[in-house]
Order: sequence, then structure tokens, then C-alpha cells
Amino acid sequence: MAIKFLIVDDSVTMRRIVINSLKQIGHNDFCEAADGREAITKLVSDPSINFLITDWNMPEVSGLDLVKSIRSDSKLSSLPILMVTTRGMKEDIIEALQAKVNNYIVKPFTPQVLREKIEQIVSTTPA
Amino acid sequence: MQSNMEQIFKKLGDLKDFFTYGQKLAPILQKIIDFMQDTVPLLETVNKSIADSTSKMPKAAHQINNVTSATEVATTEILDIVDGVMLDLGEISSQINSFQVKFDKQQTLLVKIAEKYPRDEDVKKLIMNEFDSKYFSDDVKDLSKLVSKINDSMMNITLSLQVQDITTQQLLSVNHLIQSIQEKLSSLLVDLGEKEITAIDERFNNNLSFNPEARYEKNHSSQVLVDSLVEENRSAASQKEIDELFSKR
Repeated sequence: MAIKFLIVDDSVTMRRIVINSLKQIGHNDFCEAADGREAITKLVSDPSINFLITDWNMPEVSGLDLVKSIRSDSKLSSLPILMVTTRGMKEDIIEALQAKVNNYIVKPFTPQVLREKIEQIVSTTPA
Repeated sequence: MQSNMEQIFKKLGDLKDFFTYGQKLAPILQKIIDFMQDTVPLLETVNKSIADSTSKMPKAAHQINNVTSATEVATTEILDIVDGVMLDLGEISSQINSFQVKFDKQQTLLVKIAEKYPRDEDVKKLIMNEFDSKYFSDDVKDLSKLVSKINDSMMNITLSLQVQDITTQQLLSVNHLIQSIQEKLSSLLVDLGEKEITAIDERFNNNLSFNPEARYEKNHSSQVLVDSLVEENRSAASQKEIDELFSKR
């Protein structure tokens, strides 16, 4: 399955690190957004995006609000979502899972963990 | 008449008690007045000091923001360099591969020449001299290993730069705290009659989202917690599916 990633993070540094990690594990198709609002615009305009990697703490629309917005949209609701964030408290993780993220990574992460989570999501997501 | 006199004497007695009490109280009152007189300049100093500190807070917040911006610029520069090195390493890798291909072709050619002139000792010698395949192959392997090692190091540098995002969130949290304290102190000083204190530039803190608990920990203990919660969540989903399956029967 060819994966086109949308990487959503307000930090330019983090977007580059995620992209470099994706390249490292063999993925080369991605686009970027700096917050939830821009992400929604990109998702609507580019139907080839089939995997979302998002941060939580972002201005305008947060990552959690983005997830809720996607899950409540009939056209986007099945999009696989991986949250990559600094928030490692139990209540945060539970809140994200309740919002229906497919998996969750706490920063700092490694490409190995990223690969593992992407593979887990892809293997459990219907084609 | 007698009872009136008794009342007068009683009142005089009360008055005497009051004066006696007043005499005892006078030094205490004097001490309180002295204390108050000593305290006023002290309170004025405290007030001035708070006003001074409060007025310095916007500068402190501004400096923290400068640090955040500077680290972001520096991180971007490092990432540019790392990307450049990784690109060069990719180029070196492909060059090594193309050398290997050329060498393999050369080897095949030499084998063919040797087969064509099986009795020519000069050709044999010449080929033996040029045909040191093991030496070349080991060199290529070593070089490839070295390139791979440098590539891994570059990737580790990239990953370590996640610290910039994490410290930025911590600094934003500190700035938010400074802004809250400054607002409270400013309102206190205004109540005490000070003129309006310069507020922290709202551009720095408005509309920012940060995690005050952000930590740069490489032991990945939080990820272990995440994995167990995700697993629990997945099991719960499976149970739901099982229940649905049974309800269909």
C-alpha cells in the first residue's frame, strides 16, 4: 500500500525530523501543515493523503481537536491517525485514545518506534 | 445621699483603674507607633522593589522569546547541514555501488581474456596482478560500513534535535508563568497607587499552545505506558467486537 503522509506540527524542526525519520524507514511521499486548520484544508483538497501524523499542542486548532474533527467527518473518519506529542501523562493518552487516534508516540521518538506504530496501524486498517 | 457618694467613689475608682491601665498601655502604644514609623519606609522600599521587578518582567519574557527564536534558527541550520551530509553520503553510497558494478564487469572481462589465452603466461601474470578481487571487495565493504555508520550518526543528531521542540514548550510555559505573575503584581501596584505598569507584549504568549510537562527523556518510560494503554484499548475494542458477534447469534 502506497502511503502519502500529512505531517502536522507547528514546529518546523519537528516536521523536518519526522520527515527525515520517514525517509529513513523508506517512505518518501508526504506533505506538511503547521496547525489543525491548515491540515483540514490539505486533507479536503488532497484525497491522496491516506495517513496523518499530528502533534497535540498547536495554535489555532490543536491536534486533539483535529482528530475529533476528522472522526466526525464522514469522508475523513477512517483516516489512520498517529499522534506524536510531548504529552506523556496517562490522562492525556486516554483522552487521545478516546478521541480515536490509532496510535500514540511520546517525543523524543526514534525511527524504529515510528516504523513499528505505522506498521501496526497499516496492518489493522482495512484497505 | 450616702448611696450617691458610694456611686461617686465607685466611679472614681473605675476612673483610677482606667488611668492605671492607660499608663500601662501608653508605652505599648508608643512602641506600636515607633514600629509603624520604622515600617513605612520599609514598605515603600518593598513597593519600589516590586514595581522595579514587575517592570523588568516584559524584558525577561522578551529575552526568553529571543532564546527560543535563536535555538530554532540554530536547529534549522544544523538540520540543513545534516541533510547536506546525508545527501553526500547517499551520493558516496551510489558511487561505491557503481564502482562495484564496474569492477564486476572488469572481472568478467579478465576471466574471458584468461579463457581465450589459456597458454599465454604473460596474460596470466598480467591478469593475476590486476585481479586482486578480495582486496577490492574488502575495501568496498569497509567503505560501505563507514558510510552507514556516518549516516546513523547523522540520524542520531537529527533525532537529538527534538530537544529544541521540547525546550521551546518549557520556555513558553515559563513565559506564561511570568506573564501571570506580572499581571497580578501590576494590579496590586495599581491598587497601591502606582501608575500603570508596562504589560508583557501579548504577541509572545497569545494563541500559543504548549505542554508545561514536556520532558526530554530518552528512557522511553512514557512510551511503555502508551503501549500498555493502547493495548488495553485495543483489547477493549476486541471485547466489544466479541460481544457484537455473540449478540448476532
